[in-house]
Amino acid sequence: MRPLVAMRIAGFVRGGRALAPLIAVLVELGIIYGGGASPAAVAYGYSAAALFPVIAWLTKLLLDAEPDVQRRLARLSIGPTREATAGVLAALVLSLAVCVAAMAAPWLFNGIDTRVNLGAGLALGVLAHLLAVPAAIAVGALASRAVTGSIRLGVTVLVVSAVLVVVLGLSGSIAPWLVPPVMATARALNGKYLPTADRLAFLTGWAALWCAAAFTGYGWLRRARS
Amino acid sequence: MRFEQVWFRYARRADWTLREVAATVEPGSTVVILGRNGAGKSTLLQLAAGVLRPGRGAIRGRPAIVGWVPERFPADQPFTAGDYLRRMAQLRGAPETAVGQWIERLLLTEHAGTRLTDLSKGTAQKVGLAQALLVPPGLLVLDEPWEGLDSVARTLIPDIVAEVTAAGGMVLVSDHRGEITALPGARHWTVADGTLHATSAPPAAPTEEDEVIVEVAVRRSEADQAVVALRASGHRVLGVRG
Repeated sequence: MRPLVAMRIAGFVRGGRALAPLIAVLVELGIIYGGGASPAAVAYGYSAAALFPVIAWLTKLLLDAEPDVQRRLARLSIGPTREATAGVLAALVLSLAVCVAAMAAPWLFNGIDTRVNLGAGLALGVLAHLLAVPAAIAVGALASRAVTGSIRLGVTVLVVSAVLVVVLGLSGSIAPWLVPPVMATARALNGKYLPTADRLAFLTGWAALWCAAAFTGYGWLRRARS
Repeated sequence: MRFEQVWFRYARRADWTLREVAATVEPGSTVVILGRNGAGKSTLLQLAAGVLRPGRGAIRGRPAIVGWVPERFPADQPFTAGDYLRRMAQLRGAPETAVGQWIERLLLTEHAGTRLTDLSKGTAQKVGLAQALLVPPGLLVLDEPWEGLDSVARTLIPDIVAEVTAAGGMVLVSDHRGEITALPGARHWTVADGTLHATSAPPAAPTEEDEVIVEVAVRRSEADQAVVALRASGHRVLGVRG
């Protein structure tokens, strides 16, 4: 499976399709950290929420970069489960690299207020990104051409999902559990006090359950629509 | 490998592309799939390879290692031919030596450093053929393998088919131009109106005692046409030199 992960990342990067999400990441980081220093938890909470749609888009671009026939050749070579998993892992590798860059960026521009709960803020920032990344990859995978069958439907799935994550994630939402806890995590990190261990465990469990459901759906759709 | 009452359609409410396909492919045999454009030959081959799943019925006894040469090689990838084949070899668990062996045999050496997008149709088709053969296949599925190939490469395919079947493998090959009816020992299936019919086998290949070898020189620019014309007349082309 590792050769397919490497092949997909190489195809995505060499083909130039990585450029657009890279620019989007840089613009977002500029907006987040251009206005002065914030406590680490607050800054990273916003960063994780802002990166969610970009990572979902990056995942869709990565999975769509490979021609359909080549994807079928890969499936014949290593089997359908490992072929689908390799796409998700390729997206995970690139997304974690984006998160590392996003967490390092504010230190270049004095974007973190080091006087306020720095250690806890860093740890919470890592957690916020780790909760956002798998859910974003799941959304991108569900919007990929292998699932939707067309570019128009894929873009629609991606945009509607990104909007719903924000709208249904707002405070007072009627169905917050329909979307991953990206906004809820950002709110928890932006509070007057740092979130409690119980709150963090709740958010982690919520994200894990949502991702389990989304990836199960992805696996079923890939199996049904291949 | 058995096709057990296989039905297939591309969408839930679409018409059936293939209906009630029931057939068996024996180990060591070659089956040529005939039929006009759009008859469903590629669909049948993709079902056989395991690329498509039947809507109804099942295909049982498919070998573990399948080599599939798609009708159109996916050349829109940012790799050179050599890099692509090395990556496919790693993916398929083939030894590194297999890449060099097939590059040499399919006359791809001078194109190994060429980007896939810059290859001619025939050369890209050879890359597609090479990736399918990196690991000796138990089932080789060739979808119009002659498309775009030059006369030298065309003569290689019967040899490759013979090697796969001699090792106990099965070969399914489609042909809408009737170029490969001369494959020795091949059974013929015809796809028409969504159904599969076994058609009569071609005349038995002549034995060596019946034949003489005639060396013919033709203009380089007319070599392709000459090979096609000789085959169409029922002659076996043993090789092309120069």
